[in-house]
Amino acid sequence: MIGRIVEVADDRRHLFLSRGFLVVQDTEGERKELGQVPLDDITAVIANAHGLSYTNNLLVALAERCAPFVLCAANHNAVGMVWSIEGNFQQAKRFDAQIAAKQPLIKRLWAEIVKSKLQQQAAALEATGAPFVPLSALVRKVRSGDPDNFEAQGARRYWGLLLGDDFRRDQQAGGLNAMLNYGYTVLRAATARAVVAAGLHPTIGLHHSNAGNAMRLVDDLMEPFRPMMDLKVWQLHKQSEGEVTPESKRALVRTLYDDMQTSSGTTPVMVCAQKLATSLAQVFMGEKDKLDLPLPGLPLSLAASLQDD
Amino acid sequence: MLSGYRLMWITVMFDLPVVEKAERKAATDFRNTLLDMGFEMSQFSVYMRFCSSQSQIDTYILQVEKSLPTGGKVNILQFTDKQYERIITFQGKKKNPSKKSPDQYDLF
Repeated sequence: MIGRIVEVADDRRHLFLSRGFLVVQDTEGERKELGQVPLDDITAVIANAHGLSYTNNLLVALAERCAPFVLCAANHNAVGMVWSIEGNFQQAKRFDAQIAAKQPLIKRLWAEIVKSKLQQQAAALEATGAPFVPLSALVRKVRSGDPDNFEAQGARRYWGLLLGDDFRRDQQAGGLNAMLNYGYTVLRAATARAVVAAGLHPTIGLHHSNAGNAMRLVDDLMEPFRPMMDLKVWQLHKQSEGEVTPESKRALVRTLYDDMQTSSGTTPVMVCAQKLATSLAQVFMGEKDKLDLPLPGLPLSLAASLQDD
Repeated sequence: MLSGYRLMWITVMFDLPVVEKAERKAATDFRNTLLDMGFEMSQFSVYMRFCSSQSQIDTYILQVEKSLPTGGKVNILQFTDKQYERIITFQGKKKNPSKKSPDQYDLF
């Protein structure tokens, strides 16, 4: 499903449920209705302002549809999410399989994801005209469980090649970093929905092991899609857009609908993430043995996606 | 890419009997079911919904079929977003600008 992302970024807003719709209302003046979105179409609601109010009915209706309600802090990092505790009719069985998964399998899956991420990073670099061989050369070297941590090694070279040697990835910084934060927050919300809808537990991760992170699996599965966001930030940077603005947000959210190559044809990023989560659940259940990862992006199609908007 | 030839619209048009009290209740229930499914009222007894694929349309058609009232007549139309763009709307003598299909990103 290709859903919609709803963001509320203005302080004076009240959100409530009316039949099958999320309705947004102004809380000042005539309390005008600003718009309504069908609940079934919503992938995530991002609450990015401080003075918001919302009804419990609305949160329940969103949770019933597995659509996360994301609470954002300054710098556009997600600090919390309200979402369903039951996303799939086979959930209990799938949790069991997820917990019972053996280390060799988990390591193999993580290696597949790292390879895919490196391939996507290389494709992003190729699309921007930067040298991509340093990254694509790493792909073949990744071993089960990525013990040499090529993921981090790749990232270290990648940022310099993509955004220049002066760039430092820093979650607290503004400018391009804040744009990346915003893009990842949107991606994370969409992936979280996919994970829960696939009946997987978001905390039981493959590789991410930070004890304070409740969304480890989400962070694992979104890795291959990050380069799409990075590429969009690069593009916005080229168009001398350096801050999080309504226009740059729109462009970043639209990245979820950009095409990626998969074994079953081209599909939007959002659908790819859903396929990946579903295939992971199937691997845990022993119904499948490989993940549905995006294929290395064709630089031509990536370049084409850089030209619109 | 999301193409206007793939994105679709579904329109449900109906004429329902509203003479008896029970008939009025059935008609209201049907209208409310449409609203619950995310259909928006375009005119009285004409409800529309934006869909991202033909399969989504097929799902809604099945759901509408399940909630049909006993009497009356219901038509379901389906067309592409490109065709939707060509709707001409008059309000009184005045021609309204064509409506835009919803964006995938809503900022409030």
